Amino acid sequence: MFLFIVFALIAIVAGLGVILSRKPVYSALFLLVNFATLAALYIMLQAQFLAAVQIIVYAGAIVVLILFVIMLIGGGELRDIRDPNKTLLRRLTAPRVTGAVLALLLLAAIGYGLITGTLNSASGSAAAFNNGSVQAIASVLYTDYVLPFELASVLLLVGMIGAVVLAKNE
Amino acid sequence: MTDTMTSALPFNDAIPGAVLETTPNGLVVAAEKLPELARHLRDQQGYDYLAMVTSVDWPQYLEVVYYLCGVAQPKPGLVLKVRLSDKANPVVPSVIDIWPGADFQEREVYDMMGIRFEGHPNLRRILLWEGFAGWPLRKDYRESYYEEDTKPLKSRHPDGSHLWAEDRVPWKDNVTYPVGVDPDLWVSPQVQYRRIMGVDQGGNGSSLNTERVLVNMGPQHPSTHGVFRMVLAIEGENVVGLEPEMGYLHRCHEKIGERNTYLMNIPFTDRLDYISSMSNNLGYVLAVEKLMGLQVPERADYIRVIMAEFTRIVSHFIAVGFLFNDLGAYFTPALYGVRERELILDLFEAASGSRMMCNYMRFGGVSADLPEGWIKRARETVWDRLPRVLGDFETLLSGNEIFLARAKGVGHLSAQDAVAYSMAGPMLRASGVPYDLRKAAPYSIYDRFDFDVCSRPEGDVWARFRVRMDEIYQSLRILKQALDGIPEGPILAGKKQYQMRVPAGEAYSRIEGPKGELGFFVVSDGKANPYRYHVRAPTFINLTSLEKMCIGHKIADSVVILGAIDIVLGEVDR
Amino acid sequence: MDYIRDFFINFAHSWTTWISGGLPGWAVTVVNFLLGGLILVMMPVIATLALTWMERKVIGRIQNRLGPNRVGPWGIFQAIADAVKMLIKEDIIPDRADRPVFNLAPILIFVGAAMLWAVIPFGRRMIGQDLNIGALYVVAIGSITTVAVLMAGWASNNKFALIGAFRVVAQLLSYEIPMVLSIGVVVLVVGSMRMGTIVESQWVPFCLVLPVAFITYVLAAIAETGRAPFDLLEADSEIVAGYFVEYSGLKFGWFYIAEYGNLMAVSAITTTLFLGGWRGPFAGAAPVLGPLYFIIKTVLVIFVLMWIRGTLPRFRIDQMLAFAWKVLVPAALVNLLWVAAALKLPVPQAVQYAVMLVGNLAILGVTLTLLGQSAKQHAKRHGLAGA
Repeated sequence: MFLFIVFALIAIVAGLGVILSRKPVYSALFLLVNFATLAALYIMLQAQFLAAVQIIVYAGAIVVLILFVIMLIGGGELRDIRDPNKTLLRRLTAPRVTGAVLALLLLAAIGYGLITGTLNSASGSAAAFNNGSVQAIASVLYTDYVLPFELASVLLLVGMIGAVVLAKNE
Repeated sequence: MTDTMTSALPFNDAIPGAVLETTPNGLVVAAEKLPELARHLRDQQGYDYLAMVTSVDWPQYLEVVYYLCGVAQPKPGLVLKVRLSDKANPVVPSVIDIWPGADFQEREVYDMMGIRFEGHPNLRRILLWEGFAGWPLRKDYRESYYEEDTKPLKSRHPDGSHLWAEDRVPWKDNVTYPVGVDPDLWVSPQVQYRRIMGVDQGGNGSSLNTERVLVNMGPQHPSTHGVFRMVLAIEGENVVGLEPEMGYLHRCHEKIGERNTYLMNIPFTDRLDYISSMSNNLGYVLAVEKLMGLQVPERADYIRVIMAEFTRIVSHFIAVGFLFNDLGAYFTPALYGVRERELILDLFEAASGSRMMCNYMRFGGVSADLPEGWIKRARETVWDRLPRVLGDFETLLSGNEIFLARAKGVGHLSAQDAVAYSMAGPMLRASGVPYDLRKAAPYSIYDRFDFDVCSRPEGDVWARFRVRMDEIYQSLRILKQALDGIPEGPILAGKKQYQMRVPAGEAYSRIEGPKGELGFFVVSDGKANPYRYHVRAPTFINLTSLEKMCIGHKIADSVVILGAIDIVLGEVDR
Repeated sequence: MDYIRDFFINFAHSWTTWISGGLPGWAVTVVNFLLGGLILVMMPVIATLALTWMERKVIGRIQNRLGPNRVGPWGIFQAIADAVKMLIKEDIIPDRADRPVFNLAPILIFVGAAMLWAVIPFGRRMIGQDLNIGALYVVAIGSITTVAVLMAGWASNNKFALIGAFRVVAQLLSYEIPMVLSIGVVVLVVGSMRMGTIVESQWVPFCLVLPVAFITYVLAAIAETGRAPFDLLEADSEIVAGYFVEYSGLKFGWFYIAEYGNLMAVSAITTTLFLGGWRGPFAGAAPVLGPLYFIIKTVLVIFVLMWIRGTLPRFRIDQMLAFAWKVLVPAALVNLLWVAAALKLPVPQAVQYAVMLVGNLAILGVTLTLLGQSAKQHAKRHGLAGA
């Protein structure tokens, strides 16, 4: 429990760092820390496979790509984009409203789960995954969830082809 | 001067009024007719190769000297001279459109003599720094400290107190700067790279909006073979523009050469291409011998050829080895090459007393006869060791897949371009132009030996590697004949002397140095030191085409292409 | 005698028993964990000290030189002298570098190099933590290196460093795929990602059964560690030193240690996956021989990598990426399919292995033939037929 609190705190601080950093590179690095603590939490839940995949996919690939893009476009400090002349109402652009609504929804869902107790019931299911072994995950992935799995792979394929087409267009 | 007289002058029937006068040392050409005459000479007369551009500061006028010759159909040299009597504002039309190889040479003339070349797109200083004041090779230029009216002692001790020359750091009162120039505040003008940055072209035509980045490769860079700087404009990994910057090793070779006596210049030429000092010696003594009309004893001629060919082998081993260094092979081929160089340097040391700065040739011969047993050691090297080592090189390097993939098709230069850019030596021959001065304009006793001119049609880095390897074989052939045929006899015409009497006149000697046409242009006014002393450095001029070869390749390729030129900064910067 | 036969394990037992005498149970755990961590952290350092000397000797001999021979007998203390020099050098941070990121990168890259050692089995039961996803853990830790290198290259505020960092992304991401695919083949055959199990199931070294996977893995591993001929990320003749060009003193030392730590770790993983790890004659009877065999095999792999470094020129970036995507990935994919199919054959394991070997040799042959043909076409395009 002690370790969980430590990692959870790190994850929260890192998450705040992502949105509060002035430099985009720092945001990306905080994101990396966040992913790493998540991986640590997975390990504590005996889901070692998930932890490794978390590191490979998120820390090793996604953050690297984010960093790559930031470095390509130059990672200077972000300027303050608040315009003091605008009224509060006019600052409510569509992305901000959408973000706020989604955040509220998430909070509501978590709150609902906490109150009704449905969130806690998931905590004991690590053993059901046979200590997060590869076999357990594979059997679930290729039987119960085979359709989402295949859809995801098709999506990735489309993305890959799209990238090739874009790159060829010289 | 009447019309009938001018029409009798050569080429005046084609370009009326172009040639003003015929002198023993060349044709005097009217400045405004020069481009027209040059085009005529290139297109109709077959003078397709501009070997050298230099200039002389005569008391009445400045003279720009062009040395032309034919490469496609070998033609003897033709010297054009343009005389500019307005010393305050000398202007000559540039011939860069006709011979792109004039690019760096015209810049050098501008740098040294202040002669402006109209129509040159990038006329700025090349060897000296941008803030330099004055034109150093003009006769009215006084080099501070060394050429002041009062000689060192007084300037060292202006108020009688002791002050070492070392304390007089150059940016104190030892140098004069133009008005408004403070070297501490001086910023290199960025505008000079507008061309390669594509600033004036407005975009790069590609659908992806990428940004050009300027990368300074050098002057401190492991692969520039010295203190040389390539300013690369890159898009991603692709080179889209390149500007060579040189002069970091400039040490006033020609200026000091004019102050030295003729003999003092021989050891000074060692420092040009310090890999091949013997060839430099040979080129210089041939020029002065031409002026003096000296006959060299046969044995000395043989020794010279032997030394020059050994030098070629040394230089090519180094070139090939370090080309692989540039390709990223961790020093192994380079050190294999260096090992053979060391063994040949042993021979040089035995003959001349020095390994690297040989100072071996003299006017009319060589400085010392070969010691006892030298020929035997040389024969062992030529007959046994070098063929074996070459075999190693062939098995280890020539067939290497990575090398082939990296070298083939990289840095292509067509035969036409190679001639137009005044490329010389292995660079020219690797572009499919079988032009070798040892055959085309034999000097010394090269006409006695049986050897082939190595040439390859591909014109890429691989061909340059191959030509150098093949030339080592041909050098071995020459060495075998020379070592077999070397006669006994004197090694020096006349007796040894320190002070030569060199009659007034001009001479240009061209030899096939290991890196290309090495020329020495010496003007004598009958005094103890040369009136003008110019070195046609092959690698300096070979660099002209660097941008053309590099564009469209990757950063890694630009390093390899530079390595295949085989530059030596001692010679480039002089 | 029995104590000697399994010396390391028995020694560990005696140690634990000894400190249990005076300490409470939780303290014993803490002390043992700390000791284990210390050993892990020390591994890259020891590897650096040993391997720099070895590399300089090996490459020296390849280049007709003696190599270091001044400091100590055969120059064995040369590495220590170098380390001392590195420690006392001035630590320079470029003026406009991003200091936090600049300082963090060497630490992160070293952590990556140290963590790899947690899953390497030096002998039977001699493994830091026999994770059930050991092979995957190796890949995961390797991907952290990418981030560290990218951070170093960007924070240095140097164009060469940035070019190096960009090359890293292209190179490491590309070569991760053939690497994972070839590890995947081994995992398929063994049926487990546990490193200990992988070693124990190699009654015949997998390099003899799965040569394609072996070669692919070694090539990808060379690229991942950034060694010649794939050392584009730090190509000294092009981009000077790439991402760590601005580092000096001890921070440069971290990169250096990480490089050699990674080299040794990658060789150790190669040994584990393909060369039978600590298995060898009489290793079953005398487990103390296990670590010895393991180290001998690892050093052999390292020697081969050094040999390659001393001999071959470097690829160009496009050639290198093409090599990964057009040669290694297809070969590894086909190999994976073939092995998966062979495993389903209802025959004894030895026959399955034979089938795999035949398929592997076929893939190898086809790949090499295609490579040769494309080289010939490349030559023909440049008018070099028959050259």
